[in-house]
Amino acid sequence: MSEQTGKQLSKEEKDARFEAELLPVLDPLYNFAYRLTLDEDDANDLVQETYLKAYRFFDYFEQGTNAKAWLFRILKNSFINEFRKKSKQPAKVDYSEVEGYYNTEDVEGDNGVATTTDMRSESVQDLIGDEVASALNTLPVDFRTVIILCDLEGFTYEEMAKILDIPIGTVRSRLHRARNSLKEKLEKYAKTMGYNS
Amino acid sequence: MESKFTEMYQKEPADEKDGACGQVADLLDSVVDGEASAEEQSFFNSHLEECVSCFENHQKQKLLKSLISGHLKRVIVPESLALTIKAKIQETI
Repeated sequence: MSEQTGKQLSKEEKDARFEAELLPVLDPLYNFAYRLTLDEDDANDLVQETYLKAYRFFDYFEQGTNAKAWLFRILKNSFINEFRKKSKQPAKVDYSEVEGYYNTEDVEGDNGVATTTDMRSESVQDLIGDEVASALNTLPVDFRTVIILCDLEGFTYEEMAKILDIPIGTVRSRLHRARNSLKEKLEKYAKTMGYNS
Repeated sequence: MESKFTEMYQKEPADEKDGACGQVADLLDSVVDGEASAEEQSFFNSHLEECVSCFENHQKQKLLKSLISGHLKRVIVPESLALTIKAKIQETI
């Protein structure tokens, strides 16, 4: 198994490595694409485009490094550059505003946590099964993204910073805001179902 | 031998509970994500032993994370997708 880094691969080698190292990421990649686009056809297109780009730039991929993070990064960039252009949705939310509150506001303080919804009971967990997905889908895409990367795909903060091209501090603050927002939505739902003190 | 982190928390007056709770709240994400340093984790754990409210917040934060990791359904990848990708790659070469 010679190291191919920096060396031109033969087509056979390239195809074999591409299949062995990148195609196993198809499942998480498709799920990520679906959570970003919320549409199966768009997710399909986005994943295809990601793999085509990955193949084109495969010589730059260092064997043994994190293929999953590399593909997620390509997909995220494709989503921003092309998909958002196609859909006429407003793509940007100004996080400088919300992120500024981090560390200055006791978000776990008197307001949020005073609610005593017992989210630990099994019945509440069952009830909010599908609610988790719909609550997550209502979050702004940047919030949704950090939650998916962290909680569903298990990326570290450092990996997330690389995938998203943002500093680790921003990963932390965005994740913090995203979770508060999700928590608020789920607690609101639990309350409407009568699970409240 | 004390690190900056330890010094920072030792400076907190013992009766200033809100300050410690605020610091613990800031550490919640790092702790549930396994990103806290050993010192942060140890500060966090000792505070939780004496603060019910922070203990409950920690439980909630863990639950929230587990709701995503354990309850969010994964979508099924269309069977044809891998083949389509391979075919497209061969076409474009």
